[in-house]
Amino acid sequence: MLTVEDLKSYGANVDEGVARCAGKEELYLRLVQKVLDDEGFDILAETILERDYDKAFDIAHRLKGAVSNLSLTPMTIPIEGLTESLRAREERDYSQDVKALREAKRQLEQLINTNERVF
Amino acid sequence: MGDQNIYLSNIKRSVLVVDDEFINREILGGILEDSYEVLYAEDGQKALQVIEEQGPLLSLVLLDLRMPNMDGFEVMKQMQQDVVFKNIPIIVLTSDESAEIESLKMGAADFIKKPYDMPEKIMARVKRIIALYEDRMIIQSTEKDELTGLLSKSYFFEYASLQDRFHPNRSMDALTVNVSHFHLYNELYGVQEGNEVLKIIAKEMEKFANAHEGIACRSEGDNFYLYVAHQAGYEVFLDDVIAAITGDTTVHNTQIRIGINSEVDKSESLEMSFERARMAGDSIRESQKEKIAFYDAKMRQQRMFEETLIRNIVDAIINGEILVWYQPKYNVEEDTPRLVGAEALVRWNHPKYGMLSPGRFVSLFEENGLIQVMDEYIWGQAAAQVKTWKEKFGVTIPISVNVSRIDIMDEHIVETICNIADSAGIDRKDLHLEITESAYASDTENLVDIVAQFQKEGFVIEMDDFGSGYSSLNMLTVLPIDVLKVDMRFMTNLMEDEKSLRMMELIKEIADFLNVPMIAEGVEEKEQMDILKKMGYQMIQGYYFSKPVPKEEFENFIKG
Repeated sequence: MLTVEDLKSYGANVDEGVARCAGKEELYLRLVQKVLDDEGFDILAETILERDYDKAFDIAHRLKGAVSNLSLTPMTIPIEGLTESLRAREERDYSQDVKALREAKRQLEQLINTNERVF
Repeated sequence: MGDQNIYLSNIKRSVLVVDDEFINREILGGILEDSYEVLYAEDGQKALQVIEEQGPLLSLVLLDLRMPNMDGFEVMKQMQQDVVFKNIPIIVLTSDESAEIESLKMGAADFIKKPYDMPEKIMARVKRIIALYEDRMIIQSTEKDELTGLLSKSYFFEYASLQDRFHPNRSMDALTVNVSHFHLYNELYGVQEGNEVLKIIAKEMEKFANAHEGIACRSEGDNFYLYVAHQAGYEVFLDDVIAAITGDTTVHNTQIRIGINSEVDKSESLEMSFERARMAGDSIRESQKEKIAFYDAKMRQQRMFEETLIRNIVDAIINGEILVWYQPKYNVEEDTPRLVGAEALVRWNHPKYGMLSPGRFVSLFEENGLIQVMDEYIWGQAAAQVKTWKEKFGVTIPISVNVSRIDIMDEHIVETICNIADSAGIDRKDLHLEITESAYASDTENLVDIVAQFQKEGFVIEMDDFGSGYSSLNMLTVLPIDVLKVDMRFMTNLMEDEKSLRMMELIKEIADFLNVPMIAEGVEEKEQMDILKKMGYQMIQGYYFSKPVPKEEFENFIKG
């Protein structure tokens, strides 16, 4: 079972995240696992490749809201960079940020998979 | 919450969270759910659906701006355009500071930044905005009644309606409380003692209201309102009030009158609920014995009756239940009375209530404007009847129809009646328009103008119920009138009462001065007719000749 200690070791600001969930640790852990089910991560990468920056921005903006509210710092950093560049519809190489986001997500998934998924 | 919201402090309000991101919705829900009823929507369209369903029951919308299908700006725009929804406060959820100004312009009350602040801050903001808006809704002037400290009437109604919004299923009683003959108290006991009585009543009412999930106010003078959760009886409350007055003042034998509308019908306005309680209270105004009266089955039955009529009127016209009957008018200047016209009078042959005379429904329809629908139908029938009788008997029987002051408020009234007469193919002078004298009392200028237009268009104007007390002699000179009608039923016992006789003479003199003929209606006996004839009245209408009859029967008068 995923614990707050696991998430702390992952680099999440767990105290902040749990506090934001009104101190409800169970809710926080449930939402952390839920965020990984979001198809937006895959679609974001695809839309960036297709240079559909309008759609990519919408997705990035939404995901940023979710991961920053959960204080998942390793994911928050790359998604913030992506969101701000996409907001300005910057023509640049996004691959490093996309890769960093994927990696952060993969690490979290691994962490969860080594534990028993609650949902 | 604001101080004045103590009456509502225990109510769990509804808050709508609108965000396309599930995680964000859940976090806000987690923060708010202990104190609020939390509803969710994942885009603007769904948000509007929930807002539509909840209406004013919704205390706050927490609104994300960037969403698929419909964004937050569009939601705000649509809410602003609705009279009810624009009063629901909105807190915008945004990570984008540049959106704040536009949101404010569109009516947002506050912001919550993403990532969210700590829950305490969010809760404080939510609570503050709801209190702020509710206080604003509960009228600007938060006055209380100075003498008694109870709520003022308008404040009371605001609170009562808020209570109903939050507790739609709670059964409530509306009460009016009065002191019988209070106007004598100041003379008998002095102003100070009179005020003391009012303060004691107020104190007892507040005590009772607090104990029974209710509120109280002094509406005016010695009239109080109480809105409380339904109770089986109020005898103990009444005894407590009287005991308190007797114990604390020199006033004895105080008579308190309570009118109760028990378990009010919440589909009606609160004002109407209290009006019904007042009706109940008024019904025992003169009684020495009864102190408490319920808005009862009889009163309720009258209301049901009225509602049925309102619901049925249009179908009744279509189904031919609305009957036009005719009462003859005779010229009595010569020895043998001569038929000179008829007045069209309505009857309603109601399938449930039987034959109804106009007294049962005309004033009801005047109140809600339905009189126009019915009157137009009658005018059309009457105009067609003039034509039919002319074709059938070769004589013209002018028919007079009533035109209500409500009809006259319609800006197209002249056009409507012209069309009715013209399309029936009759001469306009054969459709007489009876306008009640009392109609001239309100908005004189407009009425005189409209009546003058009718006259110009060729109609004969009869002033109905003349002498019932509204016209000044001065006004008579400017009124466009062709005939004056006086209703004998306003005269008490014409044969024995000197004053009534003198009045009839005076009215005839006025008519002579104005050079218009007179019709006396409501004439029932030969003696009456003889007196009126002697006074010089030219035309008589009334039971002496005939009651109003169906058109077939009226034809006997034409045939002579």
